[in-house]
Amino acid sequence: MPPQTDYFDLTGKKTMVVGAETPAGGAIARAYAQAGADVALCVLTADEAVMRARVVKRDIEAMGRKASEYVMDVMLGKNVQVTTRQVAKEMGGLDIVASAPDLFVAKPIEKTTDMELARVMQVNFSSQFFIVRTAAEEFRRDHRPGRITLVTSVLGERSMIDTAAYASAHGAVYNLVRAAGHELARENITLNAISLGWMDYMDDRIDTSDEDGQRALRFPMLRRAGRAEEIGPTAVWLASEFGSAFITGQIIPIDGGLLQHQ
Amino acid sequence: MLDQFRLDGKAVLVTGGGRGLGRGMAHALAAAGANVMIAARTQEQLDRTVQEIRDAGGTATSFSGDMTDSAQVNAMVEACVREYGGLDACFANAGMGGGVDAEFWEWPDSAFEEVLANNLKSAFYTCRAASKVMVESGKGGTLITLSSAGGYRASKRWAYGTAKGGVLSLTKVLSGALAPHKIRVNCISPGIVAQRDPADDQERARRAQQGGFIPANRVGEWWEMGPLAVYLASDASSYVTGQDFAIDGGMLNAGLAPAKYRPHAEI
Repeated sequence: MPPQTDYFDLTGKKTMVVGAETPAGGAIARAYAQAGADVALCVLTADEAVMRARVVKRDIEAMGRKASEYVMDVMLGKNVQVTTRQVAKEMGGLDIVASAPDLFVAKPIEKTTDMELARVMQVNFSSQFFIVRTAAEEFRRDHRPGRITLVTSVLGERSMIDTAAYASAHGAVYNLVRAAGHELARENITLNAISLGWMDYMDDRIDTSDEDGQRALRFPMLRRAGRAEEIGPTAVWLASEFGSAFITGQIIPIDGGLLQHQ
Repeated sequence: MLDQFRLDGKAVLVTGGGRGLGRGMAHALAAAGANVMIAARTQEQLDRTVQEIRDAGGTATSFSGDMTDSAQVNAMVEACVREYGGLDACFANAGMGGGVDAEFWEWPDSAFEEVLANNLKSAFYTCRAASKVMVESGKGGTLITLSSAGGYRASKRWAYGTAKGGVLSLTKVLSGALAPHKIRVNCISPGIVAQRDPADDQERARRAQQGGFIPANRVGEWWEMGPLAVYLASDASSYVTGQDFAIDGGMLNAGLAPAKYRPHAEI
């Protein structure tokens, strides 16, 4: 028998959003709260990111949900672990984790230094690895049917000039979802990703003062960039206990059909 | 090592071999030592390509027929076996762009059926007839289908893209079904490839402009199909099956932004 419930309701769920200061992270946090969840907002750095997350926090509290802020150094697996433990303790458990770190860099491969490559890999990929590892540990502790959603990029599967480091990091995220999704499936933990195409806030990678940049925004089938709030509903679907329970290891593009462009 | 790329004495069939990509493959296969039979509807084109191959010292013959008619396809395979004593590799290359210039919702049944017949039915019939001979001989062989970058993604060539997507599925389905019979099945997916040398400067300029949309900054040439065809027909690819080979100058890999677009963000 199918469960008699609202499939997408997150009421009472304890959620953690890493990279809550990014547009995608903020949108996911707000969407979780709208669906009824309490949200721990983890920001990657203790600077203006905190201010941006505070706006998200206020929005969530205005919905009558609980929100709290944490600084998580995602470069360090131990810090991810310790902060997540603290989040779970303070919230009274953990059901759902989303992660949306994003450090875009565009550089010719011959000019990309060892340090730059390491940083891009750490922020975009290693952080996601640490988060999956730690989230699974928390879910396992309470025998909860955990849900993990990573935010990645269509550059994980298609090419563009000067993105060798960034695209490689996201290619690694693609396979993290597949490999770890497989591994965690038997524990009732699902792991999926949302792969973003061109979003209207991505002025770091699509420069609309550039003619080719403007043309790139017409490459999606819907012929426009996406908006952060368009990420939320998919994140809620992937986080829900019954709405997506048999879906794991999948990459869901939110790209307006960009990946269908020739 | 290089011996593994040789096709000496092998009987190889190329449908749609009179012109375009098929002609390019037939030339290379013959140069690698194969006895080549090319098949198509248009006798003059077949005659010309056969002559070109013979002039270059290769062995070639032709079969004139319609690849959308299974009886003619069967007759073609029989003719190849009669001529060369067997069939080792078969390229189901015949196809057409075609159709009519109309919105999707206005497309007539007849146009859809014509495009499907020429691109998908023909490939099915050709693979079926060739595999029967290969299975019955007990020696196996190799089948090569032709899909297209147009079979992957959004395109205004609805019927063509649908048919080429079907060819890709046919390849995968057959690779499993025929592997126990020592038949390998692979697919070639060309991007934008010129069907012949440019006739004049105007055509050359048009192709240069098209090439601007491709990472390699040029369109492919008809003869560039040749080495890939030899690789797939030969023992050099003896453990490769069920795969699709894009030959597109990087086009399918890109497509997120204009090919020469450079984003600006640095750390």
